[in-house]
Amino acid sequence: MEETKEMLDHLGIAGVEELFKDIPDKIRSELKLEEGLTEMEVMNRVKDILKENRSLSEFSNFMGGGIYRHYVPTAVNEVVSRSEFYSSYTPYQPEISQGMLQALFEYQSLICELTGMEAANTSMYDYPTALAEAILMSDRINRRKKHRFLVPENIHWEIEPVLKNYLRGTDIILEWVKYDKTTGQIDKEDLKRKAGDDMLGFFVSSPNVFGVLEEDTKFYSDIKDETGSVMVAGCDPLSLTLLQPPSEWGADIVVGDSQPFGIPPSFGGPTVGIFACKGRYIRRMPGRMIGETVDKDDERAYCMLLQTREQHIRRDRATSNICTNQSLMALASAVHMFVKGGKGLEKIAKKNYDNAHRLASLIEDIDGYSSPSFDSEFFNEFLIGNQKMIDLKEFKERCKNNDILPGIPLGSWTESKFKELPPSLLIAVTEMNDAEDMEVLVNTLQEVKE
Amino acid sequence: MNPEFRQALYETHLLIEEHAKDREIEDNPLPESIARKEAPRIPDVPEHEVVRHYLRLSQMNYGVDTGFYPLGSCTMKYNPKYSEALCRERDALDLHPYQPEDTVQGTLRIMYELQEMLAEIGGMDSVSLQPAAGAQGEFTGLAIVHGYYKNNNEERDEVVLPDTSHGTNPASAAMLGYKTIEIPSKEGCVDLKALREAVGENTAAFMLTNPNTLGLFEEDVLEIADIVHGSGALLYYDGANLNAIMGKTDPGKMNFDIMHFNLHKTFSTPHGGGGPGSGPVGVVEDLKSYLPVPLVKKEGDKFILDYSLENSIGRVKGFYGNWMVLLRAYAYILERGREGLTQVSERAVLNSNYLRKKLEGTLELPYKPLRKHEFVLSGQKLKKEGLRTMDLAKRLLDYGYHAPTIYFPLIVDEALMVEPTETERKETLDEFAAIIEKIMNENPETVKNAPHNTAVGRVDETRAAKKPIASYKMREGDEK
Repeated sequence: MEETKEMLDHLGIAGVEELFKDIPDKIRSELKLEEGLTEMEVMNRVKDILKENRSLSEFSNFMGGGIYRHYVPTAVNEVVSRSEFYSSYTPYQPEISQGMLQALFEYQSLICELTGMEAANTSMYDYPTALAEAILMSDRINRRKKHRFLVPENIHWEIEPVLKNYLRGTDIILEWVKYDKTTGQIDKEDLKRKAGDDMLGFFVSSPNVFGVLEEDTKFYSDIKDETGSVMVAGCDPLSLTLLQPPSEWGADIVVGDSQPFGIPPSFGGPTVGIFACKGRYIRRMPGRMIGETVDKDDERAYCMLLQTREQHIRRDRATSNICTNQSLMALASAVHMFVKGGKGLEKIAKKNYDNAHRLASLIEDIDGYSSPSFDSEFFNEFLIGNQKMIDLKEFKERCKNNDILPGIPLGSWTESKFKELPPSLLIAVTEMNDAEDMEVLVNTLQEVKE
Repeated sequence: MNPEFRQALYETHLLIEEHAKDREIEDNPLPESIARKEAPRIPDVPEHEVVRHYLRLSQMNYGVDTGFYPLGSCTMKYNPKYSEALCRERDALDLHPYQPEDTVQGTLRIMYELQEMLAEIGGMDSVSLQPAAGAQGEFTGLAIVHGYYKNNNEERDEVVLPDTSHGTNPASAAMLGYKTIEIPSKEGCVDLKALREAVGENTAAFMLTNPNTLGLFEEDVLEIADIVHGSGALLYYDGANLNAIMGKTDPGKMNFDIMHFNLHKTFSTPHGGGGPGSGPVGVVEDLKSYLPVPLVKKEGDKFILDYSLENSIGRVKGFYGNWMVLLRAYAYILERGREGLTQVSERAVLNSNYLRKKLEGTLELPYKPLRKHEFVLSGQKLKKEGLRTMDLAKRLLDYGYHAPTIYFPLIVDEALMVEPTETERKETLDEFAAIIEKIMNENPETVKNAPHNTAVGRVDETRAAKKPIASYKMREGDEK
């Protein structure tokens, strides 16, 4: 190629191989991959492989457990497809990156409005890693001799292994608090027993893994006040359009996942870990944060805030190692919120609530089921149980034949998830589920029973 | 001033400022005791205004699709559009992580094949796709180190790294409770003597990127590996600079035990304004059983999620990794293929050396000239005019370039770290070099007050830190 030749000439070398002469022969290797393809071939091949998937649109779908199928307004995709946004990186040069900076500041602001917190970062990877970072942060806020952090057992089963890794190199000890087998909420007696002024903090999630909402929130703010510890609260952002924000019951840090806003299920990733806290803890935050300031002419401008907390400046004393985060997904969430607006989101949340409660009562009418199995309020996800041992294999087979994704099996018919519960199903219902979906599920549950 | 570049500037009000005053929630179905009383202050703005708002913001942002983005260490190459199109397929995005395996065979196949391809490229035996980003890959790799020594009842509490290492390296080590020991470099590369002195029975791992952050290839890498392994420690490869060596050598050949890949760098998935990325981790056979679960496994002609690894560290995040990023990287590797990926590294290194040669007369180039995919200049010369590298970086924005990485690595005074990547043509590099030369001869005042052509002028980051405003709410508090 003409161009390559000119460049090689400029360097005074005969071939590009001379630029690799500093790689010793002993460690030379060649790639053993296939020959490259044309764009057309790539598109055909990958699309053919993807056809081996069956998308959620082909099912009556009730899957939740941390990932929910909500409607994503078309405008969200239009905006996040602007390549000025997606082909940029971390805004190290604020003057030329005001667009993304402001967009992320607006995301932070929305998260603060929903959670009642004053500060938010631009994202963690997801809910489990956000909680892990929150526990690490509570240790920075609340240096104590004993590093106990209380976590209830009614959290998602994938969180515990993540926490174990994040706490691996620390002296923080996780202590587990039981949940109430009748309500599904935290066992208050057990929490009271274990809480003390020698703990770093504790975690409360509302909704929790069972979809159950904590109903006596004052209890938790009392525990927090009595122990002077850090309260970390878990949230579902859509529910917060109707639910008391965690700030009102004492939360210092709020974590969650903003996937319900603007992010398709995507086989679980990427989503966006919510991380928000009280303003006074802002210097203890992990991750990127955008702040408002002015430029040299005193015009409003945005930039990354308190970078001296971060790994590229502070190295081994950084508040976290996170660098690349989930910014584009945060943008998608913010666009979704603005496109629907406050009233629109509230309407969607009510629809979620209504649909879920309608389905719960339809299932409750089937003999042998308790629906919801816990005697507590819920938002758009709930557990149903059957005291008899249903054959899981048969149930799955029937669902398969009827194109139903019935929810997530929990309880004694699984190997490891809440085995103390009877055979149960965790069912999520959103605005996407219609009456027909529900009928199919109800009929199938009826059939299995017989 | 250059008339060719002028960034858009629109009135920059926040959409959230349009919220209505204190709206009460009506007909809240939740019980009184936990019902929200006042609605969150999210405005109700017509959709077209929302779209305009964001379109305008996008025009106040600079991406690779806008122009040259030689941000060292970040591999800002042009990202192919076919990957974006594939990610809009319903069969890719409308999938739940817990739907039955037989309904996601396409996705599992792609993940399986990507595990295999990355293992081949890295010279590793096994790869996990779970980590969400490079730093999480490092964290995962070091958690594997931690698990490995715990299992072998060895107490090793130190991680050694060179002073040129990425900031995420010491930060990841510290998160796992390791004491970090930084060793000084010699001629920009690992000082074998210092390394020998630093490693010992307390060393868990030595972390290295090769080529290093100066763009220099660590020619002594096999000896480094011997020293590290001789002390009983493991050798970790930071894959941030993998774009330089594909088809030429690989971390396995260099005797590394663990590595991470940055799919958003080497494998051309867009950087998303800061993310999402993906940081798969590869290991040699002896460490395979420590990888996070699940891996994707092939059984007959079926693909399954395999949780059966004996010593697995468990999980580092929910579900299986950033699938939509994995899909893009998979398509990219298919498209490039064996020859294509080798050419990627060849052109990345050619571009880097060509630009280095063009600039070494203008700015000082510490250490030997032959570089790999990036090089680091020193802006020391600028000091004579009362300027700093920061000023040069800001002035580059005026000419429609994103600035290189500045003030890193720390061992170069007034560092300017340039990574052109393989997707730029000669003309762009020539123009960039000419502009740097031009700036060096400009009136220092013009440079000092740069940028002039961007949406806003030089941003006061110190003021932002003094009285942090991290949300609309905090701004309001300020006004009260």
